[in-house]
Amino acid sequence: MDFIKKLLENPALNIRRRKRMLNTAWGIASYVFKILILLAIGYIVIYPLFYMIVTSLRDKQSFYASARVWIPSSIDPVFNYTMAIEATNFFNALKSTLTREIIAAVIEIVTCSIVAYGFARFKFKLKPVLMAGLFLTILIPETMIIIPRMVTYSNVDFFGILGGIEKLFGNSFDITPSLVANEVNFLAFWLPSLFAMGLRSGILIYIYIQFFKGLPYELEEASWVDGAGPIRTFVSIALPSSSVVFTTVTVFSVIWHWNDSLLASMYMKDNYPLAVQLERIQTYLTARGYTYHNRDTMAIMMAGCVLFIIPMLIFYMILQRRFIESIDRVGITG
Amino acid sequence: MKKKKYRSIEQLKSRYGYMFVAIWIIGFVIFFAYPIILSILYSLSDVSLSSEGVSTEFIGITAYKYWLYEDPNYLNWLTTDVTSMLYSLPIILLVSLVLALLLNQKFPGRLFFRALYFVPVIIATGVVLKLMFQTTSEDLAGAGVSAALTDSMFSIEDVTKWLDLPDQIAMYVKTIINNIFDLLWNCGIQTVLFIAGLQSIPRTLYEASKVEGATKWEEFWFITFPSLGNVILLVGIFTMVDLFTNNRNQIIDKAYNLIYTGNFDSTSAMLWIYFVVVSIIMGLVLFLYNRFLLKRWS
Repeated sequence: MDFIKKLLENPALNIRRRKRMLNTAWGIASYVFKILILLAIGYIVIYPLFYMIVTSLRDKQSFYASARVWIPSSIDPVFNYTMAIEATNFFNALKSTLTREIIAAVIEIVTCSIVAYGFARFKFKLKPVLMAGLFLTILIPETMIIIPRMVTYSNVDFFGILGGIEKLFGNSFDITPSLVANEVNFLAFWLPSLFAMGLRSGILIYIYIQFFKGLPYELEEASWVDGAGPIRTFVSIALPSSSVVFTTVTVFSVIWHWNDSLLASMYMKDNYPLAVQLERIQTYLTARGYTYHNRDTMAIMMAGCVLFIIPMLIFYMILQRRFIESIDRVGITG
Repeated sequence: MKKKKYRSIEQLKSRYGYMFVAIWIIGFVIFFAYPIILSILYSLSDVSLSSEGVSTEFIGITAYKYWLYEDPNYLNWLTTDVTSMLYSLPIILLVSLVLALLLNQKFPGRLFFRALYFVPVIIATGVVLKLMFQTTSEDLAGAGVSAALTDSMFSIEDVTKWLDLPDQIAMYVKTIINNIFDLLWNCGIQTVLFIAGLQSIPRTLYEASKVEGATKWEEFWFITFPSLGNVILLVGIFTMVDLFTNNRNQIIDKAYNLIYTGNFDSTSAMLWIYFVVVSIIMGLVLFLYNRFLLKRWS
């Protein structure tokens, strides 16, 4: 600071130059300060991740040393990770996640965009009422409606229509397969997504609406004049200019579906996706004689966590650059 | 003739609008409205499951009475969950707003930090975090994450004593620091939403204020904050819903256990009480926010 002061008081420098130097000094100081704050919070943010990875590598002996040593004294990753793969039934569970959750996510991304386009670009009488309904779906969480949904799915009897027919005509429906049955339970994930009512669809539709509202009307009007229908306009005018919002929504939807354990554990009886398997890893380990206070158990659990997040980390790495840029351009105005 | 044609285009467009949202309307009825009505019905009935399906018998508010008057733990859980939501909310909003403001600026290294701060978005929803907290709190070698942090820096009690804070605030600060990881890991999506909101503020406003000679501080209070009014509202609602359905809440945890054992009626009642209490508090928070912050700036 003294150095800068001396420079500034030097009468040989003219005022403009002094000012510029002060500005640069101020700029550097604030930059350093900013980076320091971001690093400090970033350390806290990233600490659990490091902790997870390091713990997953530890072998039994290294736990008795101070755990705050970042580099464990002895490691045994092979044992921990093979145990974790076995305990979570990893590859089977991964398949289950991909066929149920991730496909549901993809369906949701598409249907939500269609619905949001309708909300954002057209005027119709019931719109305020329907928007209030949309707000309600954001407000009332899945937890509140999980029980009736599960009951409905396990009978495949929406509104009790089949039951009513049964009572009227006296014949029973043998064909009613429970959606919770293993062969068809993917429908329990796909169907709500197909009707834009999947996992947190409300907030996704909201993000889409905010983006579509900002698209210029001129292009669309031109395509109307040229005789394109609404679907044609949506597919060939609106969609090509919306890759930005699709990136944001894809990241959110895929991550939420990947992490979802609530719906899966409700709708399924076996063949659980990864998130549920990971949630139950402790039960499995306890049954195999790895108790809670056993050091190995912790390392295996953390190895399971690392395995669980690796696919998402890779997914995020691939989309990261596009995602980070897309946030700048989605623009939410409330 | 001309006028008639104009009107018909309007009508056509409104029909197209319905066409686009039709799937959502069907979904809303089947997968949202109908389950909600059923859920209320279940909470008022005696539900029994059999191989033929579900049979319900209307019994009124017995289940509600049970949770409110007879269950020894329920009210305790309710207060704990609601207070933990209330203390988390302001700090999550504040931290994610500050992070968004910092990450929104252009500086070298910005991309790195953005990537870093969105990692919790990937990890912090649900299972992994739950296992993390189980592991760290059981760590006998004393590597409990928050313990490590507080040990290595300073004692919170000393600081609050030195600052001569009132007891309530001291408690609040202490709770926050003890839960710092939980709180920070919940900030990811909020930060993303705030950055998207910041981007939508027109540049011209900032240019005008620069010409007028406003400081950064004034810029924040007179442009950024008022323009973010509705985004803060959205993020606030999202955060509250997220916090109160968190499966580390005692009530939600209990509810899942009850669902697994097939107690649909009492679980529904329990969740509805919880939801009503939470939505009253949410309504109150939103009302106060509307009254004292949003109105003042617009």
